[in-house]
Amino acid sequence: MAHAYVPEIATDREGNEHEVQGWQDDFYGGKLGFWLFMLTEVMMFGGMFLALAYYNTLHAQDYIEASASLNRLLGGTNTVILLVSALTMGLGLLKMRAGDVKGAKLMIWATIILATAFLVIKGFEWRAEYNHGVFLGLPAMQPGNEGSLPFGKILFFGMYFTMTGLHGLHIIIGIGLMIWLLKRINSEKVTPDHHILYWNIALYWDIVHLIWVFVFPYYYMIGGGDIVGGVAHGH
Amino acid sequence: MDTNTTVNYQVERKRYYKVLVGLLLLTTLTFIQPYIYHAATFTSQMLIAVVKAWLILMYYMHLKGEKLIGATVIFSLFLVTVFFVIVIGIDVPNFQNATESHITSQVTDHAANTAHAAH
Repeated sequence: MAHAYVPEIATDREGNEHEVQGWQDDFYGGKLGFWLFMLTEVMMFGGMFLALAYYNTLHAQDYIEASASLNRLLGGTNTVILLVSALTMGLGLLKMRAGDVKGAKLMIWATIILATAFLVIKGFEWRAEYNHGVFLGLPAMQPGNEGSLPFGKILFFGMYFTMTGLHGLHIIIGIGLMIWLLKRINSEKVTPDHHILYWNIALYWDIVHLIWVFVFPYYYMIGGGDIVGGVAHGH
Repeated sequence: MDTNTTVNYQVERKRYYKVLVGLLLLTTLTFIQPYIYHAATFTSQMLIAVVKAWLILMYYMHLKGEKLIGATVIFSLFLVTVFFVIVIGIDVPNFQNATESHITSQVTDHAANTAHAAH
């Protein structure tokens, strides 16, 4: 059974039976626990931003030039896609809480499609950068080679691929969670009366969006100058 | 935060769309900021990001009215800020190992030049 709860019984010294408080439907506890998990995500990405800011301080000019070479049109498109996907996820949760299960499922599918579009665009962006010789492990990204990028740019792009890659991994995990959520809704294990899983996955999607809110300006905008950017004419 | 399913769908939906419009306007500002105030691009960009983050936290992540979770989040952000102040505000400006460290250009560029000279 999905949520059949068999209460635990405790017996005191006089032989009287008492039902032990169960926490299976502790909505607030479930939410608080997930927030604690999200704070570990903040610590992980916070550490990366700290390293990024550290190198940025030491190589300010290289950072600005490297940032100017990123494709702001694709990065900006992805920003809007994530923004809209946060809305669809939130509206879906709202529909579920209001009892519109079908509408909620449609909103989850919309979020999955938007998340996939984000990954496809990111893939095109990385491909263009790879074709231009800027990718982890390529000679230009290693100091001491002929045609190596300036050291500050190597650090910038190293952090860029690491952080956007890790963020992309979070998007993939998010898609997996949403598919799992759909499965749980179909089997009526997530219902309008029991929607903590939906609530927490919506929170997860918001933290993925929130991280991008800082990733995008730090990488794409600090070298703001020309309209589009892009490695094709950046180097 | 309420834990039941009684939700005023129309009111909540309207709020979601209002926040979306706010976030879209701030995203537009992110794009045009370097052209209207180029002097402090980095600071301006981060300030816009903080405002966007606040909107997301308060309305999309339902932090508004949450006392315990809100306090936990504020405490964590305070800790992160302390680390940033110590490392970026104090440590880096007083970096004393520039001639020895492999995260500065001096050592790395010197090594690269030596390698090219050897070829």
